[in-house]
Amino acid sequence: MAENGYLLELKDVSRHFGGLVAVDGISYGVRKGEVRGIIGPNGAGKTTLFNVITGELKPTAGRIYLKGEDITGLPAHIICEKGMSRTFQLTFIFPEMTVFECVWVGVYSRARRPWDLFFSRTDPSGPIAEKAQRIIHTVGLEEKTHEMASNLSYGDQKVLEIAMALSTDPVILLLDEPTQGVGPGEVDTIINLVERLSKEMSIVLIEHDMDIVARLCHNVTVLSFGKMIAEGTCEAVSRNEEVQRIYLGEKIVCS
Amino acid sequence: MPEWAITVLFLLMNGLIWGLIIALIALGLTLIFGVMGIVNMAHGDLYMLGAVLAFYLLPVSGSFWIALIAVPLITAVIAGPVERFILRPYEGHPAVTMIATVGISFILQQIALATYGGIPKKIADPVDFSFTVLGVSYPGYRLLVAAIAILIIVGIYLFLYRTNYGILIRASIQDRQMASAMGINVSSVLVTTFIIGSVLAAIAGVLAAPISQVFYLMGNDVGLLSFIVVIVGGLGSLGGTLIAALTLCSLEGVLASVLSPTQAKAAIFVVMIFVLMVRPRGLFGEREG
Amino acid sequence: MQRERVYRYFALGFLVLLAVLGLVLPTGARSLMIQIMIFGIFAMGYDVCLGYTAQCSLGHSLFFGSGAYACVLSVMHLKAGLLTALAISVGTGFVLAALLGPICVRLSEAYFVIVTAIIAAVFHLLAMDLVWLTGGDDGLCFSIPSLKLGFGDLSLYKPLANYYFVLFFMALTYFVLARILHAPLGKIFVAIRENPKRALFLGYNVTRYKLIAFVVSGMVAALAGGLYALTLRYCSADYMGFYWSVLPVVWCLIGGQGTLVGSWIGVALMSLFQYYVSAWFTYYLLLFGVLVLIILSVSRKGILGYIASRVR
Repeated sequence: MAENGYLLELKDVSRHFGGLVAVDGISYGVRKGEVRGIIGPNGAGKTTLFNVITGELKPTAGRIYLKGEDITGLPAHIICEKGMSRTFQLTFIFPEMTVFECVWVGVYSRARRPWDLFFSRTDPSGPIAEKAQRIIHTVGLEEKTHEMASNLSYGDQKVLEIAMALSTDPVILLLDEPTQGVGPGEVDTIINLVERLSKEMSIVLIEHDMDIVARLCHNVTVLSFGKMIAEGTCEAVSRNEEVQRIYLGEKIVCS
Repeated sequence: MPEWAITVLFLLMNGLIWGLIIALIALGLTLIFGVMGIVNMAHGDLYMLGAVLAFYLLPVSGSFWIALIAVPLITAVIAGPVERFILRPYEGHPAVTMIATVGISFILQQIALATYGGIPKKIADPVDFSFTVLGVSYPGYRLLVAAIAILIIVGIYLFLYRTNYGILIRASIQDRQMASAMGINVSSVLVTTFIIGSVLAAIAGVLAAPISQVFYLMGNDVGLLSFIVVIVGGLGSLGGTLIAALTLCSLEGVLASVLSPTQAKAAIFVVMIFVLMVRPRGLFGEREG
Repeated sequence: MQRERVYRYFALGFLVLLAVLGLVLPTGARSLMIQIMIFGIFAMGYDVCLGYTAQCSLGHSLFFGSGAYACVLSVMHLKAGLLTALAISVGTGFVLAALLGPICVRLSEAYFVIVTAIIAAVFHLLAMDLVWLTGGDDGLCFSIPSLKLGFGDLSLYKPLANYYFVLFFMALTYFVLARILHAPLGKIFVAIRENPKRALFLGYNVTRYKLIAFVVSGMVAALAGGLYALTLRYCSADYMGFYWSVLPVVWCLIGGQGTLVGSWIGVALMSLFQYYVSAWFTYYLLLFGVLVLIILSVSRKGILGYIASRVR
């Protein structure tokens, strides 16, 4: 853990695309056990920020620290090994694999040893499989363990994605709009799941729906044109004038 | 001027002229890649097609210049439907589309073999003046080829940068989704681009026919060279392709004085490998992430 | 799980059938079957690349051809035994793939296709040029030593011995590859094929696994090349030609990519097609080109993939 108590810390991180500044000098910290929301209008740079944090994009400027360790510019798979996991805005699963296999591959990623890569059997029992089963149970997909991922409903696919993100033993989980496009019944399932997970790990959540943010998050950050324009409790943020101006016409209420 | 310097000078000259012909082919390749996201594996055979058509049209029309106009038209008539009806169904799967162009390549070669035959033939120089520089006589047709090629390249440049339709094509190269969101008729852009690219290769074939021999496999060597050129220059980058074509071909021309043609190609291949090791998207290709 | 079983039963059935056919077939048909088995090995290797990691290489003729040359040259100049020669073939495939792979596998899809094609084309030109070593277009004929087994010598000049020698390697390749693909490595390959980005964010170094697939694939292709040269007692620069790079794609697409053994169907159909059509039609390659277009538009799943998707 870093001396200042941050699990994940961004210092003045920027990302440019040619002349376009997608992420503009953001400093941000997440402590252990925190659930943080990120909101902002479309094109505010929320997903780009995730891409920069998780190593898909290299920041143009600034440093990123995970558990006090500088991870700026490391490749994505190394950052994942260090305990960061993410989901994607559009579902990102392995369509032609079963639910079990999808999660199994993730668990194996942390458990792999060079000598069993080529010739060991992928037993349905054994510690890796057991852990995969446990994760599937946690997210509530146990009845669909052997379904093809592509045959799942959209909401279940979103849940599967969270299960896959969990499979690599993250200390911090980045969720990019986990409820987007999901039917009302399934939204509750996902919210409850995230709520349960928040007891075990830090979570950063991109979300459009303020109700969900208010229910889940201790703390909200508002992005606009790549800049951080407000940070604080949900209530404080929704009273912020600049935030209201951005969301003009949309009602922001914290229930 | 010492003898060797004159030799090198002329090799360089030949290399540059050859580079202009390759540039025509490679520009077509890179345009097609930019808009369609595929490398046309039959591109060398379109060059061959141009040369073979010129061979047939020459006795009929009696004039090389008529052939130079007619061949691109015929090629356009063939290329349009090929894109629309054969390649379009695979859109969005670059590897599959490229295998389809491999199939087209086999078909073109075999049709040429069946009709034109397997023996290389020669076309006489359309203009037979030559002039003497530094005591060496140089065929005038080659300079003419260079001039025509430069004219066409300038024309392509003006088309892409000065006309509305050209701007649409460049917009599609930048961002396909954005282009279609802006209401650009992507379908017509795809067909047009494929036609332009094919026509460029066919014109190169007509121009090169009197210089090299007309042969049903003549597209293989040229295709390979232009693939290397676009990889080095960066697929989708027009300027990069032009620069790479001229540099690599002059290099090959000069190297040919000390090496065998195959060794010269191998040398250029080594250049490509080095470029790819440093820049996986070529010298001027867009950079990832 | 269900599909895997279909593939396994199919493979075992096919191998048993081949073992029986070897005894009953007339010599002409047997030599066609030998060819089919060798191409079957090539196709399995290629499927590791195309079907399991979605890397569409158009340069596998390089591995096939250099495997063939490695085998021929080591028999001719090093007086190597058969098995040693084949081991040298596989080793050559390994070295070439391990040297060229790192350059290719990190490229994007279209670049990968074209760069592999360029590499094979340049090596093909070199092979035609270095006549003193390769015999160029005319190729090299050579005589092969007999295989020294504990209980006696086996001469591959006997068609029956040749048949079972090749069948042995086909079965061996199948069991080794099936083992690897059912091991965690195979699962990782499929994950990368299905969604490389998701695999990356699960902590997998995608480039490294693509390279492993490429190298395995190259080694198997080189083995096939070595066996082909041994069977024909001949090898030429033509083995590195573009046609030999396109064939495996067609086999896998017909039979079913990502099934390992579905390509055997493709091999069998294509070999029969070539055998019968090229006899009466000079422009066989014309039909080959048309066939490529038809196959691409009819099905990407291939025959075995289609059958397996019907089995519940």
